[in-house]
Amino acid sequence: MPAVQETIDQVRLIDVDQYKYGFETTIEMDKAPKGLNEDIIRLISAKKNEPQWMLDWRLEAYERWKTLEEPTWARVDYPKIDFQDIHYYAAPKSTPGPTSLAEVDPELLRTYEKLGIPLREQEILAGVKKPGHEASEDGVVADEVVGEKRRVAVDAVFDSVSVVTTFKEELAKAGVIFCSISEAIREHPELVRKYLGTVVPTSDNYYATLNTAVFTDGSFVFVPKGVRCPMELSTYFRINEKNTGQFERTLIIAEEGAYVSYLEGCTAPQRDENQLHAAVVELIALDDAEIKYSTVQNWYPGDAQGKGGIYNFVTKRGDCRGHRSKISWTQVETGSAITWKYPSCILRGDDSRGEFYSIAVSNGFQQVDSGTKMIHLGKNTSSRIISKGIAAGFSQNTYRGQVSAHRKATSARNFTQCDSLLIGDRCGAHTVPYIEAKNATAQFEHEATTSKISEDQLFYVMQRGIPEEEAIALIVNGFVKDVIQELPMEFAVEAQKLIGISLEGSVG
Amino acid sequence: MNMHVNLQHTPAERALLEAFDARIGNLPGDGLIAAKRREGIEVVKAGLPTRHVEAWHYTDLRRLLSAVPAEHGSGAQPLAPLLSGSNVLTVENGEAAGSTDIPHVAVSRLSAKLDEGQGYEQITQADAADVIGALNTAFASDGFVIAVADGAQLAAPVELQNIHGGGQVHARFAVSVGAGSRAQFIERQAGNSKALSSSLSTLHVGDDSEVMWLIVQEQTADSTHLAQFRAKLGRNAKLTLFVMNAGGKLVRQEVRVDAAGSGSDFQLRGVNLLAGDNHTDVTMVLDHSAPNTGSREVIRNVVTDRAHGVFQGRINVHQIAQKTDAKMACNTLLLSDDADFSAKPELEIFADDVACGHGATVTDINQQHLFYLMARGIDEKTARGLLVKAFLAEVIEELEDEAVIEALEAKLDAWFVQHG
Repeated sequence: MPAVQETIDQVRLIDVDQYKYGFETTIEMDKAPKGLNEDIIRLISAKKNEPQWMLDWRLEAYERWKTLEEPTWARVDYPKIDFQDIHYYAAPKSTPGPTSLAEVDPELLRTYEKLGIPLREQEILAGVKKPGHEASEDGVVADEVVGEKRRVAVDAVFDSVSVVTTFKEELAKAGVIFCSISEAIREHPELVRKYLGTVVPTSDNYYATLNTAVFTDGSFVFVPKGVRCPMELSTYFRINEKNTGQFERTLIIAEEGAYVSYLEGCTAPQRDENQLHAAVVELIALDDAEIKYSTVQNWYPGDAQGKGGIYNFVTKRGDCRGHRSKISWTQVETGSAITWKYPSCILRGDDSRGEFYSIAVSNGFQQVDSGTKMIHLGKNTSSRIISKGIAAGFSQNTYRGQVSAHRKATSARNFTQCDSLLIGDRCGAHTVPYIEAKNATAQFEHEATTSKISEDQLFYVMQRGIPEEEAIALIVNGFVKDVIQELPMEFAVEAQKLIGISLEGSVG
Repeated sequence: MNMHVNLQHTPAERALLEAFDARIGNLPGDGLIAAKRREGIEVVKAGLPTRHVEAWHYTDLRRLLSAVPAEHGSGAQPLAPLLSGSNVLTVENGEAAGSTDIPHVAVSRLSAKLDEGQGYEQITQADAADVIGALNTAFASDGFVIAVADGAQLAAPVELQNIHGGGQVHARFAVSVGAGSRAQFIERQAGNSKALSSSLSTLHVGDDSEVMWLIVQEQTADSTHLAQFRAKLGRNAKLTLFVMNAGGKLVRQEVRVDAAGSGSDFQLRGVNLLAGDNHTDVTMVLDHSAPNTGSREVIRNVVTDRAHGVFQGRINVHQIAQKTDAKMACNTLLLSDDADFSAKPELEIFADDVACGHGATVTDINQQHLFYLMARGIDEKTARGLLVKAFLAEVIEELEDEAVIEALEAKLDAWFVQHG
């Protein structure tokens, strides 16, 4: 079957084999033994110097987790995960809580150097950049805010621990708390206790419960009343160690009238075996607050034969608790062997608004099952969903979403658009929306399309002398434009490039 | 299904099992058929599907199915045919009756076929998860096996009436239309008293044939109606299916169509009128399993009072089905805060050179439209009525057959008179 062989040859060339973040950093690590039991949880808690209530909470979650079954409803297929064959704690040995950059292991800094542009944290970590010197290597100039360069505060999480958080002092002046969650549990227990687990309860789902029991680090953001966070906040997640799971927990609280924009990036080394990532992110927006959460997920997707790659099981949920609050999720998903991720909004406050913008690119043997939930509870709540799925190679790309209006959610409004693009006839694109209206004044609109790049479009671009592959990248970028423009500038350029790279070799 | 070891049956399940034990001896067919029936009743033994079964997510049959009458009813009221001049075939209280003489059409009673040891292929369930098919397989007492000859152009529609005077009735219609033929079928589902009714129609449309099939469901407001329509399309075959649900308490109408012949085309139009405590679920699974196939589905729902409406539609485009053109739309007018509507329009696509899409909306009457009419001196109630009717009539008018449109709009009007 020459046609099949041809396809295989093409797929062999695709980017999944050329994952550029596939390096591994050799750092002495402090690891817990493999396996999961109460002792491991006690160990994690002790390593973090956690108070008793935190340990109790973890142990309770562990008890619940033992009674739960792994969900099977998603359109993803993978061999059973052996939860006893994973290290639940791994930390770089040399960092007993760094207070300044000088104390960070130079190996680690080199790792971040290799990770390069997504956050440009190297430049940032090195100090404030000089204005007029902003052109990055691809010639795009970062935007400037009133003559001053936009800066990004970074919290870097390496396997199980947060290694460095920058710009802490400057943020503190504005009243913003930005630190690792372990630190927050120690330094701000009253805030953590008040909000942690209130959006994603302990027994919400299998992976969230597991995360509650064993989460090792993550970021904590608190923006007090009336404060507009003076810079973008960002977390960089990196799984480095072999056979470890990464379980991070992020909690972001925006008090009345506050605003914060938060970016998240992730990569992992290239390995033959699968690694587990099960994170929980909770967002809480009080009256008139706004949280913007952007993700560029580029975990190792596995090789061209579908070997290796990250299993990404993530629970992300935002609670628009206050009136007129707003939560916006933007995600660019190009990595992971398996993605199981549904960033959602609970629109509790009257006039609150939820948004979800997503680009999910799958190639090789990647499987993506992602989407969102918009739960309308308050009056005059509105939500908007724009999802763009691009499937190539042998991948399966599913949008799964729910929009529901509660009986009391008068004048709830939703607009959903989910479009899929298929490149090649060995991949699949699926759409599974659930639309539930219990209120006559609700107004829900949903539309979905699936198609391939039209020959007319391609011809139009190519006859202007643009090679096919570039022409396709151009059309694809047009296809995802609605979402890209929702990303902060720092990410938009990177995301656009990432999509191009992910689809490389998928045509020909 | 080995997970139901310690299952406590619901009263409805117990009643079904008892009814099966009482009936199995008298149901037509030989030992092979009886074995199939016993296989079918397993779905009840294993427990009827709950909302945890994805296909029944919005219709928890186990919870919703309450009363199951034990006996066949009696005294069904014959219906005047929807279109005058139709050839009527009637199943009355689960028993085929009347003349079977139609030109170019071979008609036999299902029970007679089964008793002669024929028609095994007529008594099946679509797959292991097919609950309605299994239930009907277990209980089907009669119906018709109908074959339209190759090249036949039927002058008059064939009306299949499944009528009852209450009780528990299960009918089956198996229709095959030969190559190059043209036919119109009207399926009537009605009764005059509380009932549990199941009905299953299978249709094979031969190469280059064209079939229009109308389903009009008007069960009483306390009846349960579980129905399935299964069709397979040949090369360049064309099927237009119209479904009107205007009755019943618990209704599930499944539509399973396989566009298996290249160049075949499937059109579905549906009007669901939900009032009172009605729960109506229309679930469609459409397979595009050959190249160059097309489909359009338009479902319009009006939901008022305390009614619950459900539409699930899944379009599967197989890898071989390149150049598929499939579009599905489900529009709902939700007119009461005590009513609800849930939609799940799915696309499952394995071919790349396709154009597929679906749209779903749930809204109240457009206030601007209402204002426009009222500004012209039309009172609110009349204006609302006009807008709702226009919303539904739009779908009916697409059928492009004057007699059919007129008859269906008359049904619509009758429903409006009854439900204001």
